[in-house]
Amino acid sequence: MKFGIFFELSTPRPLARASEHAVYQNALAQCRLADELGFDHVWAVEHHFLEEYSHCSAPEVFLAAVAAQTRRIRIGHGAVVFVPQMNHPIRVAERAAALDIISNGRLEFGTARSSTWTELGGFEVNPDDTKKTWDEFVRVLPQMWTQTEFEWQGKSFSMPSRNVLPKPYQDPHPPMWVTVTTPGTELDAAERGLGCLGVSAAGYDEQERRTKEYHRRIASCTPAGGVINDQVHTMNFLYCHEDYRKARAVGVPMVNSFNVANAHLYWTREAYPTRAYQTLGNVGAAMKAKQAPADDPSVAKGLPEGVGVGDPEHLVRVIKRWESIGVTGINFLLNAMEMVPQEEVLASMRLFAREVMPQFRSKHEASQAVYTPAKMPVYAASGSA
Amino acid sequence: MIVGTADVEVLAKQAATIESFTEDAIQLDDVLCMQVTAEMRNQAREAVLPPSLHPTVPAALSLQVWCVGGSPWGAFDMAVTRVACRSGVRARGFTTAVVASSAVVCRGLRGIFGFPARIGEVSLRHGYDGVSAWVVDGGEPILRINAIDPEPMSNDDVQYTSTVNLAHTPQGLRLVQLECDHAITRVERLRASIESFVGKAWGNALLDPYRVVSASVTRSTAVYPPIRFVCKADELAFTGTERVGVSR
Repeated sequence: MKFGIFFELSTPRPLARASEHAVYQNALAQCRLADELGFDHVWAVEHHFLEEYSHCSAPEVFLAAVAAQTRRIRIGHGAVVFVPQMNHPIRVAERAAALDIISNGRLEFGTARSSTWTELGGFEVNPDDTKKTWDEFVRVLPQMWTQTEFEWQGKSFSMPSRNVLPKPYQDPHPPMWVTVTTPGTELDAAERGLGCLGVSAAGYDEQERRTKEYHRRIASCTPAGGVINDQVHTMNFLYCHEDYRKARAVGVPMVNSFNVANAHLYWTREAYPTRAYQTLGNVGAAMKAKQAPADDPSVAKGLPEGVGVGDPEHLVRVIKRWESIGVTGINFLLNAMEMVPQEEVLASMRLFAREVMPQFRSKHEASQAVYTPAKMPVYAASGSA
Repeated sequence: MIVGTADVEVLAKQAATIESFTEDAIQLDDVLCMQVTAEMRNQAREAVLPPSLHPTVPAALSLQVWCVGGSPWGAFDMAVTRVACRSGVRARGFTTAVVASSAVVCRGLRGIFGFPARIGEVSLRHGYDGVSAWVVDGGEPILRINAIDPEPMSNDDVQYTSTVNLAHTPQGLRLVQLECDHAITRVERLRASIESFVGKAWGNALLDPYRVVSASVTRSTAVYPPIRFVCKADELAFTGTERVGVSR
């Protein structure tokens, strides 16, 4: 089981430059501590224009600072939005490779297509096209990272023969992931040999169903790149305190504030009739996630099952359940809207690392290779395999 | 979170009155509905919503023009403007104005659903080449929309959010939460332009649908279940929501 931390960089109103500065500096401090404590990943999202919910529009810059200030934690660029109006694929390949170099090969590379009209409309993206451009970018990036001469005549972009530089430090390239908001995207990930980076709420049963199907499909995948990443990570919240009641008193409002902010996003489906977006983002999943059983006194009332808010004993129980259904990593949101004072966030991380993490670590596990090398696919310059 | 800043007392002047909540569902048959969604500038973001509701970012306006073939009041046409918002965590549209084609229909829409309806001329033309709609109020054109290039879509591809209407109810001045189930049989997506729109006539001069996002037209049967919840207009839905018949 891998443990990560996950940043939206939410910033509460009143929106002020000092507030954004504090959010970024607090997050960097959390990254430094996570590195010391043995967390495995730090992930930062890419979102644009999402007032309060996420002020993380330049994650590559934030993550460059994380890479410079940490030693061993892996750097999760998660996820880069794969639409050309937001990110040209050449620039994506260049930035990611540079980040892999300065982090000494610690980059994990997430891919996404954006879910809100606020973002897609802001960049004048046609929502019908985002699955197509995502798929094209996913196949192209590994080629740019590994070939010394690359040319492409594609649907969303073309380029003459060039050597895209620099090359990533990891050979052949960093592990790739897909953020899974819409149910079914995990199957897209599996078919391409990409890791499943869950970012929406799902209950145990639903996650188990999705994970089983993911593993079934990835066994016969056609890898998009030179690495098969068959990891299934989910997003969760973390507030750990020795006193369960205190954990609940602090953690539940934090979780609720995130969920409310998430529900307030202007999802593409609400604004634009399209086959490409069949759900209202994370909201549908969150609404459907099972509420914790009311007769379990150790479970925070009002939270969906499996949320990482509680005392260490509770968190061990919750994580063992996630582990039992095939989840290989959990990325924790440590704060939302700065609801939890920074000192308490850091204390929660320390307690988690001391009391919970050791229950899931062994020397044997640490020595195992996580990723499976794959044969690099070869694509014709016309864009077809 | 941002919330509406409109003066509820001012909004209440246009509000309909629901004398009693009906316990029966209301069915509208053979409904042709054009929906155009357009972004608005920030001036209309908080200012047009009551304090109970949260605006979307960006602010957005939903313009609907309905041609109804059968209802408890017979056939009728109506046009509705709704501001996209959130009530608690639910996606909603807050109605700023409704124009309908007869006095009987207006009475029904006001008395049962709390729509702020008034009489006017409403026209919706649906052809193979596109859809056009216009609304005239007191002899003045207040809305004209043209939409072209219809493209068939699947019935699941269009999303209608539920409505909130500010109305005087047996529980006081409340936001009435109005669900509507559309059994859709045909959907087309179009490219629309709003050729004229008079904000003041649609409830607030700040309404400013300057950028069309999407347009669709559907054929459906629409069923309004009985109203179950209302909410205080000046209190967030998390605490201000009441079950119909149970005020706090």
